[in-house]
Amino acid sequence: MAWNKVAVIGAGLLKFGELFDKSYEQMAAEAFQAAIGSVDKGFDPAMVEAAFVSTQRGTLWGQEGIAGNTVPSAIGLAGIACTRIENACPSGSDAFRVGAMAVASGVHDVVLVIGVEKMRDKSSDEGLLARAASGHPVYTRGESAPVLFAPFATRHMHEFGTTREMLASVAVKNHYNGARDPYAHFRNEITIEDVLSAPPVCHPLGLLDCCPQTDGAAAALLAPADRAVEFTDRPVYIAGFGVATDHPYLHEKASFVGLPATTAASQRAYEMAGIGPGDIDMAEVHDCFTITEILDIEDLGFCEKGKGGVMSIEGDTALSGRLPVNTSGGLLAKGHPIGATGIAQLTECWWQLREDAGERQVRLEQGFALQHNVGGRGSGVSVVNILTRNER
Amino acid sequence: MTQPLSIRGVGAAASTLRLPAAAVNAGWGRQGGRGSSAVCAADEDSLTLGWQAAVTAIEAAGIRPDEIDGLWWGTSRPPFAEGPSQAYLASALGLRAGIGGALLAGSQHSGIEALLGAWDAVAAGSAGTVLVIASDALVPSLGSAFEGRCGAAAVALVAALDGGSASFTVRLQSTQPVLDRYRGDAEAETRDLYDSRLFREEVFVPTVTAMAERLGASPDTRWSLPDPDGRMGSSVARKITGQPPVSADIHAALGDTGAAASLLGGLPALGEPGPLAVITYAAGRCTGVLAQVDSPVPGVHQALQALSRGREASYVEVLRARRQLIAGGETVEMAVPPGGAQFVRGNPEMLGLLGARCCDCGTVNTPPSIHPVCIACGGEKLEPVALSRRGVVHTYVVNYTMPAPFEAPLPLVVVDLDDGARVMLQGVAPGEGIEIGAEVRLVLRRYTVERGVPVYGYKAEAVAAVPANPEGGD
Repeated sequence: MAWNKVAVIGAGLLKFGELFDKSYEQMAAEAFQAAIGSVDKGFDPAMVEAAFVSTQRGTLWGQEGIAGNTVPSAIGLAGIACTRIENACPSGSDAFRVGAMAVASGVHDVVLVIGVEKMRDKSSDEGLLARAASGHPVYTRGESAPVLFAPFATRHMHEFGTTREMLASVAVKNHYNGARDPYAHFRNEITIEDVLSAPPVCHPLGLLDCCPQTDGAAAALLAPADRAVEFTDRPVYIAGFGVATDHPYLHEKASFVGLPATTAASQRAYEMAGIGPGDIDMAEVHDCFTITEILDIEDLGFCEKGKGGVMSIEGDTALSGRLPVNTSGGLLAKGHPIGATGIAQLTECWWQLREDAGERQVRLEQGFALQHNVGGRGSGVSVVNILTRNER
Repeated sequence: MTQPLSIRGVGAAASTLRLPAAAVNAGWGRQGGRGSSAVCAADEDSLTLGWQAAVTAIEAAGIRPDEIDGLWWGTSRPPFAEGPSQAYLASALGLRAGIGGALLAGSQHSGIEALLGAWDAVAAGSAGTVLVIASDALVPSLGSAFEGRCGAAAVALVAALDGGSASFTVRLQSTQPVLDRYRGDAEAETRDLYDSRLFREEVFVPTVTAMAERLGASPDTRWSLPDPDGRMGSSVARKITGQPPVSADIHAALGDTGAAASLLGGLPALGEPGPLAVITYAAGRCTGVLAQVDSPVPGVHQALQALSRGREASYVEVLRARRQLIAGGETVEMAVPPGGAQFVRGNPEMLGLLGARCCDCGTVNTPPSIHPVCIACGGEKLEPVALSRRGVVHTYVVNYTMPAPFEAPLPLVVVDLDDGARVMLQGVAPGEGIEIGAEVRLVLRRYTVERGVPVYGYKAEAVAAVPANPEGGD
């Protein structure tokens, strides 16, 4: 039996990209309007009782102190309850999970979860790259974001014979999907050769192995399952979720071929949904780098440990494959506005389960879609949400 | 008559880059130029070179760092003009918290002053085993004659009243108030005041020749002579013995290594029995010492080998490494300011490379300040341990994309240390020889200069990958 206590009655986002002409508040308002507009039977914004806002890094645009607090006013709902959720790269998916618990608890009926991230207001060097300067004074300066994942690529290639071409196949597939997603930051197809010949970013990863820095916002509306029919005849339910942590520093990892937080979070989510990885029809997983998607599909149980590269290059994760992964283009092509990412992934899952995904639509068999993020220093936290169109 | 000072071990280190004098001349539109000089990579300085030399000297002497009673360090240019240079070095070497000694600085004469200070302490009985470090990494005035000769290197000696294989026996000094090579307050670069011929004829040659005569060395003596410009040393040698000094090859390969030069120049003689005379001239002071070598001093061969390493660098690379050529634009500030409390907690465990061993399960947690409980078993009783400085690469990356002041390529390496601990550290750029399974050693390097403060830490260097200099000594 899936959990199914809360329904997703609406979801939406704005086109991701370098949104130099839009403020944080304008992005939030657009995403909120997109979510409202998606509710089949119409939605009165005054019904929103509480908002959970995910913004991971206000420092990226210089407003760490106010990010989150400005959202109710910006979307015309000053006065509602509002709480900011920051939980690294899974911030958006965790805001969704917390929003679901707020509804399930009976404290609130209709809840807005909204992720907003401004990553391009500052120059690239002052943005996420400046992360290289952070860290404990002892260990290890120079850790820009790719350093958190590239060591896994080096080791995965060493232990399992994973090749650069296998890594590249992830980027090629996600760009193919992104070219078919009107909300994606990048809408161009690429080839394996393009990926292999791109400039090095962090050996063994090159430029096209890495997701871009993107501005974006996404929103979802949650309501008690038994009220879903007031809003839609095609409800999607939250079947289960899980969050898990791990030691935060890379030198404390049990191995460099998997992320234990992902495995633990997914096991909790599967158990709550009463299903296993074989029941998933499509998945939106955290592909901040090509290697990350390979680790994810192994750690989520979609294939044996070590076989993620083979699964990717053989097309099993393509739109037409055995288990389509990142149909939206993923972080690699759609973009990774951190706080918005999880909610945007959930929006894609919502569209797929309602068969609204257009030329990206996958074949549904079991009626379950999985959404996953992993991140934080050394991938110390992961969140998995499972959605279903099944009534129970 | 002073008691002799017995040498139990020696170590040396040269900076990584080799800059041909001709490359400097070409940069200023001049022809020719002989020899090369050893120049610091961006992460090396007088402290890291001194550390490297001292680690090998202590190892060669067969003692533990905590058996040393005093550190005498001589360097014209301590990394902190005023600040904790000596305490940083002592901490990184694992010396006792109660260590004695002194930091001698302010001129290129300070290296030999460190030897004399340590010698006095041993003779007076206030120290048993002493560590002497002479190191320098000067920044020369651009376009000056000194620029093509300015070298960076270090030499270290472990000494005591007796028990060594060579002894210093005689010391003489002379002083005159002349202004030669100098750096003024608030100036970044060291320069020469006088016309070189004036200095050579009126000051250098008469002073050094007189000191050589006063020493009364026997005819079979090997001489280490100062050589500030690549020619004056041989002028003096011709007057004294008619032979090139024992220091000639090292000076030709490394340049004038300032406070380290005279002791470093005598290094080859510590490998063969016989007498050695070392003359230092700098800053209006001339010191001559005599030593008797009974048998090769432990560590001398490795020390000579260490000096033969290095790779040729372009003039532009050297200017960047010396921070004399700086890219425009802004740099990102480190998240942890060197004056902040987190730095105060973290710096000792970085310099000492400390871990916290779990008393219950033996797991080593690093660094201690962020691990109140064991990551393996949750044990709450942890004891500080100094980590091994050798290990094997578990995985690695090479980062090419970072904002200034970081410079690419920057290897980052996960190392399984020999004692079972695992650490992640920067690798020595460009990361030659770094691959999974490669043996590495951890070496002290300057990570950055942050808000004007040098910040030090360890970097992994492949043991097999230290390049040999085809023109080097040994």
